[in-house]
Amino acid sequence: MNTSTVRHVAGFAAFIGLWQFFATVGWINPVLLPSPERLLFAAWELFAEGVLVEHTIASLWRVLVGFLLAGLVGIAFGVVLGWSRVLSDLVRPIVESLRPIPPIAWTPIAILWFGVGNAPSYFLVFIGAVFPVFVNTFSAVRNIDRVQINAALCLGAGPGILIRDILIPASLPIIFPGLRIALGVGWMCVVAAELIAAQSGLGYMIQQNRVLLQTQNVVTGMITIGLVGFAMSALMSMLERRLIPWMERPK
Amino acid sequence: MDGTAKVIAAATMPQLLIAGLVKRFPVRGKPEGILALDGINLDVHPGEFVLLLGPSGCGKSTLLNVIAGFLTPTEGHVLHEGQEVVRPDRRRTVVFQDYALFPWMTVQKNVEFGLKTQGVSLKERAEVAKHFIDLVRLSGFEDRFPHEISGGMKQRAAIARALAPNPDILLMDEPFGALDAQTRVLLQEEVVRISAETKKTVLFVTHSIEEAVFLGDRIVVMSARPGRIRAEYVVPIGRPRTPETRSLPEFITLAQDLWHTLKPEWQDDKTKEDIEESNS
Repeated sequence: MNTSTVRHVAGFAAFIGLWQFFATVGWINPVLLPSPERLLFAAWELFAEGVLVEHTIASLWRVLVGFLLAGLVGIAFGVVLGWSRVLSDLVRPIVESLRPIPPIAWTPIAILWFGVGNAPSYFLVFIGAVFPVFVNTFSAVRNIDRVQINAALCLGAGPGILIRDILIPASLPIIFPGLRIALGVGWMCVVAAELIAAQSGLGYMIQQNRVLLQTQNVVTGMITIGLVGFAMSALMSMLERRLIPWMERPK
Repeated sequence: MDGTAKVIAAATMPQLLIAGLVKRFPVRGKPEGILALDGINLDVHPGEFVLLLGPSGCGKSTLLNVIAGFLTPTEGHVLHEGQEVVRPDRRRTVVFQDYALFPWMTVQKNVEFGLKTQGVSLKERAEVAKHFIDLVRLSGFEDRFPHEISGGMKQRAAIARALAPNPDILLMDEPFGALDAQTRVLLQEEVVRISAETKKTVLFVTHSIEEAVFLGDRIVVMSARPGRIRAEYVVPIGRPRTPETRSLPEFITLAQDLWHTLKPEWQDDKTKEDIEESNS
């Protein structure tokens, strides 16, 4: 373990330790914020009953569907609009005026259109995730190095090879961070959607327990969301390193 | 035309013929645009090593881009073995100043690219690539990505990539402009060796007089604004060119002549820059 890791662990341990201390001496109201000990117990209970896993899987599934849709649509639109100036002039104003609307503001209309269940969550994740993918793909294709295209053309590349061997790999280092951001946003959106428009998932679990004043379960849900989000981001970084081994990275 | 005449015509026909070439670039507020190249006539014969020499902004890179097929002429013609050049093709490959290697491909894959586009089998691709990687002395670096090797090595890889599809003409656009002086000298010697071994026609753009005299059979001097051909010199030095070539009296005389021809251009350029700077 290097010094930096030691400091990470030390900082985290001190935080938990202080929290536990304040809870034990009674400075924190356990209904408003349960102690770490109590949280651990609650998490274990929820896990043992299978509730936590069940809700987590429900949320993950919704993110996966919405994220994949957003990936497909975002990349397709980004490539086409990045390539064609005419289409981009026609469509970009619409995209740019939809983009600033926070995904949460789409919730009422999502319920109106899709009712309650998985569909509004898919939709809200899609809305949250599609813009980062689109914007990054668009600028990747728009800013592609003309000299590299010329190099490929003078070496005899036709349209197929040009797209597969040049355009796509040249764009990946910019598209990928867009996908990573999109997954993060999608994860936030699914929880927001489930608070209102679902009968399962971590957001729903949090909402239920708030009504029942089971704060320890609310916080357990929140921590699970944080951990899963962190794991997703790490997974994407790993995938990025795998798929884009040629990229120079700051050390 | 009878058979004999055809043969003679073929034997004397230049590999590359540029006639009355004019290139304008559109600019806002100027209907006639900017005249980048004006009345360019140039013949290049098979196996020749021709240098395009001139100050920056003289349009020499534009000319190379038109010859490559990246830009279309406004007027005039570029004929490659009698055929009008309308688009890039792999009979004229280019070595670029900033290498333009594909960063997502290893050296090996970069060199293979011009064969892959032609559907050459994996096995044959690997063999041809190996040959050219050996030729540019990059053996052992086949599996490196471009960001893992030095500038000089990148340019060697780019030369191998341009040679692998067996082009008629190699177009080199200030290929050593981004390299340090020592690497530059070494690569000039490498290019002399490689062009002798492959017997390719080479059209080489530079703004360095030394480089032009050391490499060229013929030096085409260009002047700026608009880009015109100002003079042509035949280099009176035989081959092979070696490091000692640089101290031959002919080398020094020609370099001095060229300097005197070009000096006003550089001074002009400098004065203009000074004026622009003092205005801004």
